[in-house]
Amino acid sequence: VRISTRLWLLFLLVAVLPLGLFSYFNLQEDEGTLRAGTLETMSVQADKKVIQVKDYLAEREREVRMLARTPQVIDGISGIQDAYIAGLQNAGYIRADAKLHQFFERYIEESGLFLDVYLISKNGEVVYTQKHAADLATNLLEGPWSGSQLAQAFLNVRMTLEPLISGYDYYEPSKSPALFIAAPVMDNGKFVGVFAAQLGNELFYRVATDATGLGQSGEVELARLDGDSVLYTTPLKYHADSAMKFRQSRQQNKTVPMFDALSGESGEGVRTDYRDKAVVAAWRYLPELDWGMVVKIDAEEALASLIKKRNLLLETFFGLLLFAGLIAYSFGRQISVPLNGLVQTANEVADGHLSKRANESVPGELGQFARAFNNMTAKLEGFHKTLEERITERTRELSSANEELRRHQHLLNEAQRLGQLGIWELNLNSGEFKLSDEMFQIFGLDRKSCITYQNLVDAIHPDDHDMVNLAQTKSLESKQPYDIQYRLLLAGAHVKWVRALCGSDLDVYGKPVRSVGMVQDITAQKLAEETLRIASIAFESQESLVITDADGVILRVNQAFTKSTGYAADEVVGQTPRLLKSGRHDEGFYRRMWKSIMQTGSWHGEIWDRRKDGVVYPKLLTITAVKGNDGAVTHYVGSHIDITERKVAEEKIQNLAFYDYLTNLPNRRLLMDRLQHALVSSVRSGRHGALLFMDLDNFKAINDTLGHAIGDLLLQQVAQRLISCVRESDTVARLGGDEFVVMLEGLGEDPLEAAAGTEAFGEKILAILNQPYVLATHELHSTPSVGATLFHGHARGAEELLKQADIAMYQAKRAGRNSLRFFDPKMQDAINANAILEEELRKALESGQLQLHYQIQVDGSCHAVGVEALIRWMHPERGPVSPVQFIPLAEKAGLIMPIGDWVLETACAQLNAWQHDVLARDLILAVNVSARQFHQSNFAAKVRAVLQRHAVRPARLKLELTESLLLEDVDDAIATMNALKEIGVQFSLDDFGTGYSSLQYLKRLPLDQLKIDQSFVRDIATDSSDKSIVSTIIAMARSLNLGVIAEGVETEEQRQFLLDSGCTHYQGYLFGRPLPIEQFEALLKRS
Amino acid sequence: LGRSSRDTRGRRAQVRFTVLRVQPKESMKNLRHGRNKVLFLLAAALLVALLVALALGNRTTHGIKIGVLYSLSGTMAVSEKPIVDAVMLAVEEANQTGGVDGARIETIVTDCRSDDVYCAQQAERLITHDGVQALFGCSRSGCLKAVKPVVEKHHSLLFYPGQDEGLDQSANIVYTGAAPNQQIIPMVNWAMQQRGKRAYLIGSDDAFPRAVNQIIKKLLLAQDGQLVAERYAPLGERNLDASVREIVAQHPDFVVNTLSGDSNLYLFRALQKRGVRAQDIPVFSTNIAEAELAVIGPEVMAGHYAVWNYFQSIKNAENRSFVDRFRRRFGKERVLDDPMEASYIGVRLWVNAMRAAKNPDVSSVKTILARQTLSAPEGIVAVDASSFHLWKQVRIGIARADAQFEIIGQSGRSIAPAPLPFFIPHTGSAPMVGVTP
Repeated sequence: VRISTRLWLLFLLVAVLPLGLFSYFNLQEDEGTLRAGTLETMSVQADKKVIQVKDYLAEREREVRMLARTPQVIDGISGIQDAYIAGLQNAGYIRADAKLHQFFERYIEESGLFLDVYLISKNGEVVYTQKHAADLATNLLEGPWSGSQLAQAFLNVRMTLEPLISGYDYYEPSKSPALFIAAPVMDNGKFVGVFAAQLGNELFYRVATDATGLGQSGEVELARLDGDSVLYTTPLKYHADSAMKFRQSRQQNKTVPMFDALSGESGEGVRTDYRDKAVVAAWRYLPELDWGMVVKIDAEEALASLIKKRNLLLETFFGLLLFAGLIAYSFGRQISVPLNGLVQTANEVADGHLSKRANESVPGELGQFARAFNNMTAKLEGFHKTLEERITERTRELSSANEELRRHQHLLNEAQRLGQLGIWELNLNSGEFKLSDEMFQIFGLDRKSCITYQNLVDAIHPDDHDMVNLAQTKSLESKQPYDIQYRLLLAGAHVKWVRALCGSDLDVYGKPVRSVGMVQDITAQKLAEETLRIASIAFESQESLVITDADGVILRVNQAFTKSTGYAADEVVGQTPRLLKSGRHDEGFYRRMWKSIMQTGSWHGEIWDRRKDGVVYPKLLTITAVKGNDGAVTHYVGSHIDITERKVAEEKIQNLAFYDYLTNLPNRRLLMDRLQHALVSSVRSGRHGALLFMDLDNFKAINDTLGHAIGDLLLQQVAQRLISCVRESDTVARLGGDEFVVMLEGLGEDPLEAAAGTEAFGEKILAILNQPYVLATHELHSTPSVGATLFHGHARGAEELLKQADIAMYQAKRAGRNSLRFFDPKMQDAINANAILEEELRKALESGQLQLHYQIQVDGSCHAVGVEALIRWMHPERGPVSPVQFIPLAEKAGLIMPIGDWVLETACAQLNAWQHDVLARDLILAVNVSARQFHQSNFAAKVRAVLQRHAVRPARLKLELTESLLLEDVDDAIATMNALKEIGVQFSLDDFGTGYSSLQYLKRLPLDQLKIDQSFVRDIATDSSDKSIVSTIIAMARSLNLGVIAEGVETEEQRQFLLDSGCTHYQGYLFGRPLPIEQFEALLKRS
Repeated sequence: LGRSSRDTRGRRAQVRFTVLRVQPKESMKNLRHGRNKVLFLLAAALLVALLVALALGNRTTHGIKIGVLYSLSGTMAVSEKPIVDAVMLAVEEANQTGGVDGARIETIVTDCRSDDVYCAQQAERLITHDGVQALFGCSRSGCLKAVKPVVEKHHSLLFYPGQDEGLDQSANIVYTGAAPNQQIIPMVNWAMQQRGKRAYLIGSDDAFPRAVNQIIKKLLLAQDGQLVAERYAPLGERNLDASVREIVAQHPDFVVNTLSGDSNLYLFRALQKRGVRAQDIPVFSTNIAEAELAVIGPEVMAGHYAVWNYFQSIKNAENRSFVDRFRRRFGKERVLDDPMEASYIGVRLWVNAMRAAKNPDVSSVKTILARQTLSAPEGIVAVDASSFHLWKQVRIGIARADAQFEIIGQSGRSIAPAPLPFFIPHTGSAPMVGVTP
């Protein structure tokens, strides 16, 4: 910064700035006070005017509300409406019109409260106006004035049934801007029409033009929004003819306070008005009119005294600024002009004009400085001349030395090229890097390119990087040069082997300052070494190798050969391979082998040889003849693999297919194979054979309780015991699980004799398998069930025989286990028949052959109170099948669940159907539930779902359970029953008296009813013990608070006895058999 | 400024050093000397400025307390918790723009536990113990009825954002929600114009629905409408099958639903299950805003109607900014609805009145409050000086699948509140007939 500028700034800072700041703050303070005062005034004025408008409108609205409720208006609107239809010229209308005109006179003509009033029918017909302007007798919904504010007001009133003030707009029929206040007219609570009154702009104009308290320039603006712009509704002071004509759009006038007012905000501030002039304003929003109001005064006027003061202060401030600037500038120039001359001279001297001199005629310190400068320049000129002469001489000497150096360099390059040897040098301080021509050759680099040490490092093969780094680090540590070999990875994935030597010069601190290195291309040498190494490694492979000369004399063998044959290298070298012969192959074999070698050059095949320890083993041998350049055989190479293990494995696989892995007994496949053979040979020999099928009675329990490991041990011991008691010619097989089969052959020609022999053998098996077993730490007992069948010839197939033995075994089991049974053909038939029935039952369920029959249950006075649903199977061919026959079958075949579900579903559907039947509506339907069904975990939920699906009240369903079912798991049963009981399902205990009938659990069960079994009822008339049992049951039920029903009641006598004993409900043929639904319903009607 | 000028000096000095080749050390020393002088002057100026600022800003400020009374637990918590957030937003914004004359507004949020009696006790505690200047609370008229005697007794001020059935007015309550003529009356009139005259009324068995239905029945009478049935379900009822069966059987032209809480969910599910489509029998609900719509599931309610003063989907700059600010503060996923907006307006009106009032006592504040107008998210609102209800816009919305309402009709300008509908004659306050001017 120039000295003059700096001086000037300093003046500014010290003298003018504080003065400026002081004036500024002072001005601010004054302005704040003045502004606040003016704002307050504006605000008060605005509020006053707002209240003036509000009061005016509220008062008018109150009038309209009152008028809308007067009988004149209410009756008038209905009365004139009728007359109106007949036409305005109609006498009725003229009369009604005159009456209304008189009524409204005082509101319009006399007081001028309203400009006009309107009666509008609820369909929008203007049926009456005071002024009879163009709007009379038009329709506001579709007539010419349907877009007017009056029409808008009518619509809004009709929508809200609330009085309202319309928008303000030009109203054509009145030829002036107008505003309407409208209210609904209600007649006895019914909406009959709208009463409206028109207001003019008189008050708004008065409010707008009254500028009292707003000074010379103050004014009041009133405006509403028209689209996006402001439309002024009253005359403006500074804009001629503005009312309802002068518009201002929003974009260009963002600070116009009217926009704030119209956005619903109120406030005060200094803003610009529609003239773009600064004003002090207060703005308000008028919700009644949807108008904005701005009360303002020109800022110029409001802040006049302030502006005067500000101008004075500004003038003083700038005057001072100018004065200070001038003084500072002239003072600065006195110093800066001579100084600039000196600067110029010094620059010229620096540019080489050493003869230039500065002007010394300046007064004061600057003059002294110029003299000293000139003195210095003169001395500098002298030094310069001497220096130039010495430089010329030295240049001459240097050029001859250079010539010699170039010659040496050339020789060195030649030597390096021949030795494929490059040299480099790196200055570690400066980073300067030099390298000989041969280096470019080795690294495949372009001679013209800029080479750095990093290029050499980058060329190192990534795998060798670490090794080179290590060598370098070590070399630096030990201060010894390194000598290593590594690979280069050059462009195009080209790999080169190099030998690298490098040494470094260290400074006094041991830090390397310069490295010199040599790199030699040794790729060719490396390649040769590698080939040799690979060959020798390959020779020591997993395969046994032997190399002989053309005469078959062994020259060399590998490690694998020694391992395989047992002969060490020195034991066989010099011998021939005949040493290994096992003697298993004949001369022909070897002849064929040599013939193949002669003709094709090689032989490949399996051969048995003998090891050094005498063991004969199989091997896979390949012999190849090696021929020289002349085609004559020079060597033979034999390679072989020991295939002993492979042979053993093959055998094992063969075994697995036919033998059981656990017991090593023949499996089913081998058994069937042998059985086939036995059948064939029995034809030939005429002797019988036998098949005994057995399984262990409690094997599953043992497996479950003691674990599979113990189970497996048991099976192994059983297998051993079985083997121990058969002849070698017999077969013991394991079919899987705990099923064993023994096949006996050659039993004798007479069947009886054969059967006796079989039985004796069977007893032997039973005895031996009944012996206790010791398994690990357990001693346990197991018994078998044995089924036997005889065979002779192949009249029956092997499979069928096995099935017969199986059936016999099943019979033995049924007979109480631990026994022997022979196959009985009748048994077979029964089983077959059951299987067919089972299949048919499955179909029956699907094809709807199952039906529910209903048997009535009555009370003491023979009124029907309930019904039991009983399942029936109508077989298309066999006719009805008894449940006694097919229910156990269903249990066995796993069909009991779907059948149970079907019964429940059908019963509930029936209950639903009965809901509208007067006779059946209150019957309780009892359904039998099987044990399997009841003990399902989700039984309760299932029942609930079925009930819900058919919208049946749960209390109408009764479930009949048997004792045995409940005893299976009492706690579970109680839980299920309670869950159902909760929703109202009832429970009856079926067949009561035939089972345990323990009071202990009877007490715990949430039952509703006991059902006395029919076996007691049948003989009730004759058997006294039955009599007393039944009486006891009834008494007991009564004491337990349970209902009692007797089933199987067939005679009047039985009924009478039961009645006397206190029985409450009955079921039996006496009242009705189980019947299909149609007949049952008929029965209900009859009774 | 001081720093950048110093840097410039430094650079120029160095340039001159290379050109002139004068002794560097000397020059640096001079320079540093000059720089120190400037620094000293600047520090002095700063010190003076600081003292002036302290003197000006040294006004004592202590907070102004307000009570926020909503249920943060219990059945009403779902609807009322978000209202507290709206109040907090308004308070935070007021505090960011200087509070009330520099004093911070402090909120004391109290959990009403969905219990009106407890709420009244808390209101009393807030007024007498905590000395709050105003209360912001209640969203149901039941709660309002319980709190009203308390605020009247202590001559305090309560801002109530809920709907008001118009039958119970108080000088100590500012109603920022809809009056009957700003929601229910236009709703039913619109429905009758668009759909037909047969109306079916269903509501919870509570004060508000019963009062509203009284008005609707008078309205049906006035407009030649026909009442198909009027049914009430116990509060929280879930089984509305009987009513829905009746709706299916009677096939009214529209249904007016004043159910509150969960029952709405079950009503619409039952309707959907019965295959009642919105285009056949539309349901007009008074208690379902965006928050409830999200809970009911828009897929169940799409096509049915609600009438409010505010919907989140209003497209104007004020509302867009309001939604943005609220979400930036409370999370992107948040939804705004009418009661929230009404409570937000309440706080803003109060703050504006407090700022303008010279004296913070209730009657001064009420005087100022009586002439407040505001550019609110729903449009312009203004306080009606006689009823202390607000001039508000009416909007008819149809539920959309994205859990928002599409506005299909609106009043265009703010409507004056009429807590006591004009078309219903009110005994006692009925004006004398035939008064001469």
